[in-house]
Amino acid sequence: MRSYFLVINCRQEGIRSLQSFKKPNRRESTTHSRRWIPVSTAIRPSPASSLPISPSIHHLLPSPLSPLGGDMDMAIDSAPNGDASSSPAVPPATAAAAAAPPAPTTRLAQLAESLKLEYQFVRVPLEHLKKTMRTNYRLAEKEVAAVLSSVAEAVDRSDAMSRDDALTHLSSLVSRLQSLKRKLEEGSRVENLQAQRCRARLEHLDSVADADKFAEWKDVRLTRILVDYMLRMSYYDTAKKLAETSKIQELVDIDVFLEAKKVIDSLRNKEVAPALAWCAENKSRLKKSKSKLEFQLRLQEFIELVRADEKLRAVSYARKYLAPWAAAYTKELQHAMATLAFRHNTECSTYKDAFEPSQWDCLVEQFKQEFCGLFGMTNEPLLNIYLQAGLTALKTPLCYQEACRKEDPLSQEGFRKLAEPLPFSKLHHSKLVCYITKESMDHENPPLVLPNGYVYSTKALEEMAGKNEGKITCPRTGEVCSFTDLIKAYIS
Amino acid sequence: MELNMMHDVFDRVAKKQKLLSSRTQELIDQVGWEIEQAKLKMQPSESPTGCTDPKSILVDLKTKLNEIAPINQLEGLQKELNFGLGKYVKTLEKCFNSDISKAHRKVDFDVHIVNQIIATHFYRHGMFNIGDCFIREANEPEAAAIKSAFLEMHETVEAMRCRNLEPALSWASKQSEWLLQNGSSLELKLHQLQFVEILQNGSRNEALTYARTRLAPFAPVHMVTFQKLMACLLWAGKIHQSPYADFMLPSHWERVAEEFMQRFCSLLGQSYQSPLGVTIGAGIQGLPVLLKIESVMAAKKQEWLTMTELPVPVDLGREFHFHSIFICPVLKEQGSDENPPMMIPCGHVLSKQSLVKLSKNSTRAFKCPYCPSEATVAQSRQLYF
Repeated sequence: MRSYFLVINCRQEGIRSLQSFKKPNRRESTTHSRRWIPVSTAIRPSPASSLPISPSIHHLLPSPLSPLGGDMDMAIDSAPNGDASSSPAVPPATAAAAAAPPAPTTRLAQLAESLKLEYQFVRVPLEHLKKTMRTNYRLAEKEVAAVLSSVAEAVDRSDAMSRDDALTHLSSLVSRLQSLKRKLEEGSRVENLQAQRCRARLEHLDSVADADKFAEWKDVRLTRILVDYMLRMSYYDTAKKLAETSKIQELVDIDVFLEAKKVIDSLRNKEVAPALAWCAENKSRLKKSKSKLEFQLRLQEFIELVRADEKLRAVSYARKYLAPWAAAYTKELQHAMATLAFRHNTECSTYKDAFEPSQWDCLVEQFKQEFCGLFGMTNEPLLNIYLQAGLTALKTPLCYQEACRKEDPLSQEGFRKLAEPLPFSKLHHSKLVCYITKESMDHENPPLVLPNGYVYSTKALEEMAGKNEGKITCPRTGEVCSFTDLIKAYIS
Repeated sequence: MELNMMHDVFDRVAKKQKLLSSRTQELIDQVGWEIEQAKLKMQPSESPTGCTDPKSILVDLKTKLNEIAPINQLEGLQKELNFGLGKYVKTLEKCFNSDISKAHRKVDFDVHIVNQIIATHFYRHGMFNIGDCFIREANEPEAAAIKSAFLEMHETVEAMRCRNLEPALSWASKQSEWLLQNGSSLELKLHQLQFVEILQNGSRNEALTYARTRLAPFAPVHMVTFQKLMACLLWAGKIHQSPYADFMLPSHWERVAEEFMQRFCSLLGQSYQSPLGVTIGAGIQGLPVLLKIESVMAAKKQEWLTMTELPVPVDLGREFHFHSIFICPVLKEQGSDENPPMMIPCGHVLSKQSLVKLSKNSTRAFKCPYCPSEATVAQSRQLYF
């Protein structure tokens, strides 16, 4: 290996001089992408390089503790085909890459990475639990404080009170406490259920390590993603049926979305009251995220009053509810107040939009966003996120040809349409698939070349030769040759 | 994944929560009891000694309640609980990626296409009720077009599970030419199963007539199997005692059912694996890399949204390799019709353009970049993957 090192170094010069002549890739129009390409040729830290390598990219890689640090460096990637000693993919000299741990091509590492994507899965039940605990606590605090202050008040009034009055007063306090107790018992039961759900989710994530049930776990994951999609798109019946059939009720958040449904339905019915109640419940957190929702709800109510020609009521409404927001959203407020001067079917373009019924749809969207944000959920359905990522990863120019295999999802019309605006995926090393067996041709199953230039995998050709007394017939051209005529190809 | 740590942190939170609720109940009981005591004292009949003056009793009650100070206790416990919760949330944020939509481009996915894909997925997996419910709710009547085909497929497979091969056999004989063209011996396998089934039920004559009519056409091509099947006639009803007992294995049925489904889907122009499942699987493998690319590019203020090709490869597992893609190791470009892969005598493969450049426009011999052997352009051969 060492004796080859010197030879290889000279070879690098050959390769690098070629690189400087490299034509810009037709697909890439921006220069920045060229900087990514010759990473694996950054083998010798040569100072005067005509190559647009950017070693600074490596400095932006996260600390070696992140397993993905290895992904950026292609040289650590899967070993090339053929003779290892002649491969130029010698471990690179860049310090950052050397410090990075091996690329996560191992199954366990990939699993760990995929688990990291499950933030929503564990966060939502926690938020739900927090909300229940908050409600219960506030109830307890309020009632107990009320009882105590009632006693204090009774003390103050005791001169004017008769014994019977005092007795009835105290009895009422006792019954109040008893009803509080009952409510809190129910509340505590709900809390325990929700805490159990949080635990069940963590345990479910644990169970991914169980190799036997892994196919099932993957199916459950796909079903979870589908249920999430159904809930976001408001297909509640399908979501419930799907969760029941797959028995994953604990792993999906149907009840959370049903709470949102109430508000959304009311907004669709042009009522803001439930939405405002929701805002009041979550006041502090909405304030922290500087949410505009309450203001917009109030604004819409104001517009409705203007639409109904109840201008005076509208003005007093604005004084009461919109004025507090004046400082924050001055322009919008001014715009809204100006609508007082118009009728609801005005043709004036600037103010016509304010009266559009589509404003209610905007409110629904805004509410959905705030709701998802509060629960730690993404705004997009999980399905869309994974679908887009998958299409990007699978998209190659070959997928759009007629001969694309049916096993590739991108051979289907629908998938092709969805993938149109997405970037192509890129490869740094060849990935070859045998025409006959559809298996990978790599280290363990190297490609063999027929005299006519067609290439198939060793396994396929050995099988064919075994059945036909050492004769090979090319499936695509029909030419016949003997197994001994084949040459091994080395492809990295 | 530090799931154990998360379990521990969460258990602590759960403990605090239980403590808070039980303590709340206790405090309420305490307050209630004090009030009850005060009530008792105030009853005219009940006080042997001491004053029954409502005021003093009430004052006593007030002081006692202030001593218990339930509100302060509750506040203290709540603070601890909040602290525990905050710690748990921080742990979650550390262990998980809190926003996986960062790498998501704001391109609109046509909802109709997505819904159709989902409906096809349901029908393919035999979830016909759910598929129908979905189409109703999503209002996509066109997606039901593919339902009948998959319905046929699932009914046939169901019949096979009940050892009824009629529907499968009729389908196979209808598509017999197409199956042979694609190198499939499905028809023979189905007949084989039927033959063994008949034989197992003990009627040798029936099996013989079956062999004569249905198995004979396959004899010339699959002589060995045919001979084995004929030999089974000797053990009618007791095949499991014969040397050919493995014809009885239920796994045969499963494999034939699988092959039937594969061929059926292939005839429909669909893949056997649900494309939605495959794409989501690829997405789950690829998303961590995409998120990483996005964060690096955001740090360098480069455009994530406008690129037409990813700057870094996304490594997917072998099950996601559908095409042969050759990347010239020198130019790092994909092989194409204009720039095909060429193999030089030493066995290494480069693209045509790099060969031409290395040999200074096909004039001279050059050294292979990988090994010290020399070659000329004339000696190179184009490869077809």
